[in-house]
Amino acid sequence: MTALQLENVSKFYPSGDREIFALGHASLEVGDAEIVALVGPSGSGKTTLLSIAGGLLSPSEGRVMVGGDDISGYNPNRLTKFRREKVGFVFQSVNLVPFLTARENLLVVADFGRRDKKKAAARADQLLGELGLDKRKNNLPAQLSGGERQRVAVGRAFMNEPDLVLIDEPTSALDTKLGEQVMELIVTEVRARDTAAVIVTHDLRMTRRADRILAIVDGVIGDTPMS
Amino acid sequence: MLVASRELRRAPVRFGLLAGAIGLLMFLVFFQQTLLSALLNSFTGALQNQSGTVLVYTWEARDNLEASVLSPDVIAQVAAVPGVGQVGPVGAATLTLVFKGEQLEVAVIGAEPGKPGQPTKLISGRRATAPGEGVASSESGNFGIGDTVTTGAGGLPVTIVGLTQQSQLNVLPTLFVTFDAYTALRKAANPDATAVLASALAVVPSSGVSPEALAAAINGEVPSVTARTRNDAVANAPGVSATQASFVIVLTLAVVVVALVTGFFFLIMTVQKTAALTLLRALGAPAGYLVRGLIAQVALVLGVALLVAAGLLAATTATANTGLSLTIEPGALVASTASIVGLSLLAVAFSVWRVLRIEPIQAVNPPALGGME
Amino acid sequence: MKLALLELRRRPWRFAPAVLALVLLTALLLILGGLLDGLYTGFTGALRAQPGPLLVYSADAKVSVPRSRIDAAMTTEVKQVPGVEQVGGLGTALLGAEVSDQAAQASVALFGYQLAPRGVPAPPEITGQVYADTSLKAYGVKEGQTLLLGPKRYPVLVVGWVSDTNFMLQGSLWGSVDTWREVLASARPDLVMAPGTYQVLTVSTTQAADPARVAAAIDAATNGTTHTVMRSVASDSLPGIKQQRSTFIAIISTTFFVVALVVALFFVLLILERFGMYAVFKAIGASSGQLFSQVVLQAGVIAVLAFMLGTLLAVGVGALIPPQVPLQLTAGRAIEVGAGLLVMATLGSALSLRRVVSIDPATAIS
Repeated sequence: MTALQLENVSKFYPSGDREIFALGHASLEVGDAEIVALVGPSGSGKTTLLSIAGGLLSPSEGRVMVGGDDISGYNPNRLTKFRREKVGFVFQSVNLVPFLTARENLLVVADFGRRDKKKAAARADQLLGELGLDKRKNNLPAQLSGGERQRVAVGRAFMNEPDLVLIDEPTSALDTKLGEQVMELIVTEVRARDTAAVIVTHDLRMTRRADRILAIVDGVIGDTPMS
Repeated sequence: MLVASRELRRAPVRFGLLAGAIGLLMFLVFFQQTLLSALLNSFTGALQNQSGTVLVYTWEARDNLEASVLSPDVIAQVAAVPGVGQVGPVGAATLTLVFKGEQLEVAVIGAEPGKPGQPTKLISGRRATAPGEGVASSESGNFGIGDTVTTGAGGLPVTIVGLTQQSQLNVLPTLFVTFDAYTALRKAANPDATAVLASALAVVPSSGVSPEALAAAINGEVPSVTARTRNDAVANAPGVSATQASFVIVLTLAVVVVALVTGFFFLIMTVQKTAALTLLRALGAPAGYLVRGLIAQVALVLGVALLVAAGLLAATTATANTGLSLTIEPGALVASTASIVGLSLLAVAFSVWRVLRIEPIQAVNPPALGGME
Repeated sequence: MKLALLELRRRPWRFAPAVLALVLLTALLLILGGLLDGLYTGFTGALRAQPGPLLVYSADAKVSVPRSRIDAAMTTEVKQVPGVEQVGGLGTALLGAEVSDQAAQASVALFGYQLAPRGVPAPPEITGQVYADTSLKAYGVKEGQTLLLGPKRYPVLVVGWVSDTNFMLQGSLWGSVDTWREVLASARPDLVMAPGTYQVLTVSTTQAADPARVAAAIDAATNGTTHTVMRSVASDSLPGIKQQRSTFIAIISTTFFVVALVVALFFVLLILERFGMYAVFKAIGASSGQLFSQVVLQAGVIAVLAFMLGTLLAVGVGALIPPQVPLQLTAGRAIEVGAGLLVMATLGSALSLRRVVSIDPATAIS
C-alpha cells in the first residue's frame, strides 16, 4: 500500500499583489516501510512539503493521500485528529514539553487521543525500553542530554503507531557522534515497525541510509535515484 | 488533563504564589465587605436591634434621628392610627458622660420600660427597668455589668445591668436607659432646655398587621411624620447610604481588579508556554483539550485562592482591633466570590483566545521577526 | 526614544488592555479623591470659614458643637484674655427644611452668628432672614424664597447666597443669633439656650499674638471649663472625619499600588511576547539601558493617556451622580492623581528591568 501520495500539490502565498509559490505541482509516492530523504537548499519548499504531508498545512491545489485517506479537503479539526492518529513527527526544535517527563511526553499523545491509559502506559514503557531510556523515563527534558531528548522525540513519534513518520532535520543540532546515533536509531525504528518515513535532511550520512533521495529546488521536486 | 495536571505539579511554587496573590486580593475584597457591614451596623445597630418594628420620625427630619423631635400631640395622633399595637417614645442623643474617671462620648437612647424601643440583642444581664439602670454596648467603652456612668458633674449615676452586641449608634459606645433617665441626662447637659421630647416613636403593629402596612397607614393618616419599617429606617439613616454607596463603588472596582489581575497572570503563563502549546497542537492535541486544561488550572488556582482568602478573613476578624464588631456574613461573601470567579473566568477568556489562535504549523515554521505575529 | 512611540502609534491595540485597566483605575482614584474632598468640605465648611483662628468649646463637650455650652460669664472671661481681638458667639441646629412652594425637603444646619465667617456678610438685621449655602440650590432653593424649618414650620427668608459653608453634610443657613434662638424654641426645645449662652465662641487674635498661646491662656482664664482649639483641629474633630480620611487614604494607597501591579504585569507580558525582537535589537547593538528606557517611556505615555481618558470618565460619572452625594472633583486632586499615576506606572515598568537585562542577544540567531 502507498503510505503517502501527493498528486500535483501546490502551495502558494499571496505577497502584495503577486503569489509566491512555496511548492509547485509536486507529485510523490512513498510506499509502506519506505524511507525517503528530501534534500534541497534553504527556502526550497522541503518544510512546506513535510507540513502538507503531515496535515499541518492544507495545499492550495492538488490531492494528498496518507494511509489511503484523502486529507486535502480536511478542515482544521479533522486535520488535528489526523495528526493525532495517523502521523508521527520529529521536529527540528522544540521537540519536548519542558514540564513533562520523558515518559509523560510519550503518554501525552494517547491522553489527548483519549486512548486506553493502561495500553498507552505499556506502549510508552516498551518504546522507552527499546530506545534505552528505561532509567531516564522519569526525568524532565532539562535533565536529559541532547541525544536522549532526541530519542524521546523519536519514541513519541511512534507512540500512536502511525502510517507515516515525518522527520525534520533530525541531526542538524547534534554533533557528529550524536548525529550518528540518532540517525541509526531512526532508521532502526522505522525499519522495525514497517513505517514509511520522509526525512528532510542535509546530512549525507542520512541520505545514504534512505531508500530514495528526492531533491527539491524552488518548490519543484526532482528525483535522484539511490546509488 | 495530563498536561494541565503535570504542569501544576511541576511548578508548585509558581502556582502557589499565583494562588496566594489572588487570594490576598480576594481577602481585600472580603475584608472591605466585612468592614462595611460592621461599620453600617455600628452606625445603626441600635435601630436595627430594638423591639419596635416600625419607627416614626418627624417628616422634615429626613430619616435623621438626631434632627427628629416628636411632640406629645403628634405621638397621640400616631397612637390612634388603626393597626398600631404598642407605641414607645425613643429619645436619642450623644452626651459626654464620665466613666471610670474619664470623659466618654456616649450615644444615649431612652425608652420606656416594657414598651417598644428596647434592645433585643442582650448578651448578658437584663434590660433597664428603673431610672438608675442602663444596658451598654459590649463592643466599645469597656463597659461591664455593675459599672457606673455619671454626668460630667458626677450626678445621675446609671448602673449597667446588661450588655448588648451589634446595638451601637453612630459608631459610639451606646447606653440604653429608661426615658426618664434620658430626660434627666439631657436636662443635666443643657439646663436651659425647656422640654425634652422623643426623637422617634417605636411602634409594634397589632396582631395580623404587617410592619409595611402599618407604616403606610401612619404615613397616610399623620402627614407630619415619616413612618418606616425598621429595615427601611436603617437603610435610610443619614450617613448609611453615603457610606454604602462609596463602598459599593470601591468593592465593585476591587472585584474588577481581582479579575483583571487573574486574567493577566494566566495570559502571561499562556504566552510563556506558547512553544509547548504549539508543539502539542502540532502533535494533534485538539484546541478544546488545551482550553479545558487551562480552565481546570484557573479553577484550581481560584479555589486555593478562595481558601487563602477565607483563612485570612477568619484570622483577621478574630484578631483585628478596629473598634468594630467584625462578623463574617456568608451570604455577602458568596455573592462576592461568585462575582470574582465569574469575572475572572471572563478575564481568562483572553488566554483562551490566545490558545485557540495557535497555528500548529508554527511548530515547524516559527514566525520570523517581521512576519506573522 | 522614537522606537517606543512608533510602536505605540503603529500597534495601539497591543496596549489597549493596559490603557483600559488604567483608565478604570484613574477614574476610581479621582472619584475616591473627590468623595474624600467632598465629604471633608461638606462636613467642615462652616468651621473652616470662621473668621478667627480659634474656637472655644466647653471642656466637657469633647470638641463637639452640639454638646458644647458657653455661658455669658465664660464669654466675659474669654474677652479679657490678652491677645484676644474679637469674640463672637456661634450656635447651630440641625433641622429638616421644607422648600415652601415645591414641597421639597432639605437637611439644613441653621447657624446664628455674631462674627461673620469668610464670604458671609454681617448677620441680617431682620430676625428670620438668612443667607443660604449655594449647595441648597440643588434642592430647589432660590433667593427670596421662604423655607419652613422644623416640625412647627418656622419660616425663614433666603436673602442671599454664600458658599463652602456646609456643616455635617447639611446645607447651611446663616442668620442672626435671635433667629437661631427662635428656631430652637420652635423646633428643638431640648436644645434651647438662655440669652447670652452659645454653643461655641469664635475668637480672632491680635496680629502680634500667637494663637496657640492665646488658646492656652483662654482655658487657664476660665479655670479649665473651656477647651480652646485651632480651627483646623475643630474641623478634624467632627465625628467621623478622621475615620473617613484614614479609610479613604488606605483605599487610595491600595489603588495606587494596584496601578503599579497592573503596569508591571502588562509589561512583563509585553516583553515576553517580544523576546525575539529584543534579542535582535541587542544583537545589533542596543544596550539593556536603551531598551529599558523604551519600556519606561511607553509606561509613561500610557499613564498620561489613561489619566486623560480616566478624567473624562470620572467627570462623566460625576455628572450622573445625584448632587446629594458629596463628590467634589478638583484640579488639585487631579494633579495629585496624575502625578501618582505616572510615578506608579514608572515603578511598575521598572520591574521589567531584570527581564530586559537577561535577554541573550545570541538567541536572535538560533
